[in-house]
Amino acid sequence: MYHIALKMLLGNRSKYIVLVSGITFATLLMTQQSAIFCGLMLWTTGSLQNMRAKVWVTDPKVEQVNEVRQLRDTDVGRVRSVEGTAWAVPLFWGLQQAKLADGRFKQIQLVGLESATLVGRPYRMVAGRIEDVRLPNAVVIDELAIVRLSAGRPKPIGLGDTFEINDREARVVGICRTAKSFFGMPYIFTTYDQALQFAPKTRKMLSFILAEPAEGWTAEATAVAITRATGLRAYTEKNFFWATIRWYFVNTGIPMSFGITILLGFAVGVAVSGQTFYTFVLENLRHLGALKAMGASDGLLARMLILQAFTVGLIGYGLGIGLTSLFGALGLEKGEPPFMLPYQVPLGALAVVLFICVFAALLGIRQIRKLEPAIVFRG
Amino acid sequence: MADNKNNYAVHVRDVSKTFGVGATAVPALKGVNFDAREGELLMIVGPSGCGKTTLLSAIAGTLQFDTGEIDVFGSALQKMSKNENSAFRRQNIGFIFQEFHLIPTLNAVENVSVPLLINGVSRAVAERKAHALLAQVGLEGRGHESPLNLSGGQQQRVAIARALVHEPRLIICDEPTSALDKENGARIMELLRQVARAPGRCVVVVTHDNRIFHHADRMTEMEDGRVARVAEINGGHSSSFIPN
Ligand SMILES: Nc1ncnc2c1ncn2[C@@H]1O[C@H](COP(=O)(O)OP(=O)(O)OP(=O)(O)O)[C@@H](O)[C@H]1O
Ligand SMILES: [Mg+2]
Repeated sequence: MYHIALKMLLGNRSKYIVLVSGITFATLLMTQQSAIFCGLMLWTTGSLQNMRAKVWVTDPKVEQVNEVRQLRDTDVGRVRSVEGTAWAVPLFWGLQQAKLADGRFKQIQLVGLESATLVGRPYRMVAGRIEDVRLPNAVVIDELAIVRLSAGRPKPIGLGDTFEINDREARVVGICRTAKSFFGMPYIFTTYDQALQFAPKTRKMLSFILAEPAEGWTAEATAVAITRATGLRAYTEKNFFWATIRWYFVNTGIPMSFGITILLGFAVGVAVSGQTFYTFVLENLRHLGALKAMGASDGLLARMLILQAFTVGLIGYGLGIGLTSLFGALGLEKGEPPFMLPYQVPLGALAVVLFICVFAALLGIRQIRKLEPAIVFRG
Repeated sequence: MADNKNNYAVHVRDVSKTFGVGATAVPALKGVNFDAREGELLMIVGPSGCGKTTLLSAIAGTLQFDTGEIDVFGSALQKMSKNENSAFRRQNIGFIFQEFHLIPTLNAVENVSVPLLINGVSRAVAERKAHALLAQVGLEGRGHESPLNLSGGQQQRVAIARALVHEPRLIICDEPTSALDKENGARIMELLRQVARAPGRCVVVVTHDNRIFHHADRMTEMEDGRVARVAEINGGHSSSFIPN
């Protein structure tokens, strides 16, 4: 009987298309928006991905990586002396102005790496060597910087070219790849000391201290030890990552606006697909009544409806996930919009789609149970 | 099958059925007594609203009646649970509806195979038998057509093939010819008469269509929820029976 159920479903072409597109649209809306949301959340941790360190030490009030409260230079020494710390180095991070060849200004994220170790260096060089940032006025720019800082030049900015950061000349000695950040500004790497030259003078200039656990120490244990000994805040990389995401989750309207869209997708799925399936059942009630009169049990008819609902659901879900992936692939190629699809998202969407199917099937099953087979004798 | 009273295929005693309650209650059957024998084609006739369809639904087991007894081939319908009832229907009863009730998204073979599928027969076997039945009703080679592409007479023949495919003992027909012209109607009735004559079978036909009365072995006339008269029709000649 199950092939009969499928034929009844597929034979009603227009209903079938509406049903599948309803689920497809709901799946697309839910997973795509969730993926953008996850991608955006990931972007907020861009600095953590671009400057890798096992332990990040900050001012006690800092709650996330994009917030800087300057530390004292002496704090580096205090952290170094904590038991459980193998080494600790300063890191400068700040938003600065770069002057383009055409005279306009663009904001950049300037990163100063401790020059002996270059801890926090970019994870991948595309051209040049990171070690060359030790040369006078040298910087390594990321690929985004090529796009952002090339205006007014005959050809895109590259190795050997110069531009100005806060009226000081910077010379490009390397190009690196970086992860996207929430601010959408390019990362420019130099040494810590040169960064202090590029940036306007203030009383305290130290943004973060990056530390490494000593042999036999976990990052967690080292972080706890640093906090206890210095009164500064020490995060493991992982904790800082989640603290940052949590901060954006709690302190911005981003989850709300995405949540509404995702909810909308859910509502559309339930309303359109549930409703359409229900009318599909109602339109077929005559036939279902005939089958019931001929001796088909409620159980058999219910299983047929469930098969129909889940067929529509899974096809629609597949198409929706396919479209989301396509969208994601196109986006990832350009690096925009943000997109990340952790497995929980399609899994969650699947659960929602299955819920919609069960809901739709239950509506139909209720009708079947109420159905008097004698109606088939009535005109 | 249990004791089969005098070769009765259907044995109805004092059956009543009222639709609705209170002021709007409609007593459709008021103590019906009625029999159909094995090997006969029995017609139920009578004015509109007299309860023919209600009686037929009760005999078919698709409608619960209020009081009385109905035996179909010795099985008491009023004693069956809902599940037993639907199992009884799928094994023993073939249905031919006025509106055909063919499923338009299935082709003829698939429509005909449905009663076998409901009985758990495999698709391959069911479709093979369905093809054979379609050939018997003169629709050889039309099995893959949608009912929508068949004429009314052809659709009714598909419906008859469907009613017979699982070899039910009782075939129930409500106005089987009302949507057909005289010629098609006559062919259908001829077919049903052959079916009725097969051993251990019975065909019950509700109809208004006086063009087909002569195909009956017996006629039961209903009036206002009761059986008014029963007439033998011998060799196609009605004895003293002129309804309406
Ligand atoms: N489901 C129902 N609910 C309420 N009243 C009903 C229902 N079914 C039938 N009736 C009433 O019961 C009476 C008998 O109806 P039934 O359909 O059995 O008559 P019939 O002899 O088949 O008529 P027709 O020749 O017009 O088909 C009618 O008065 C009808 O209105
Ligand atoms: Mg009727």
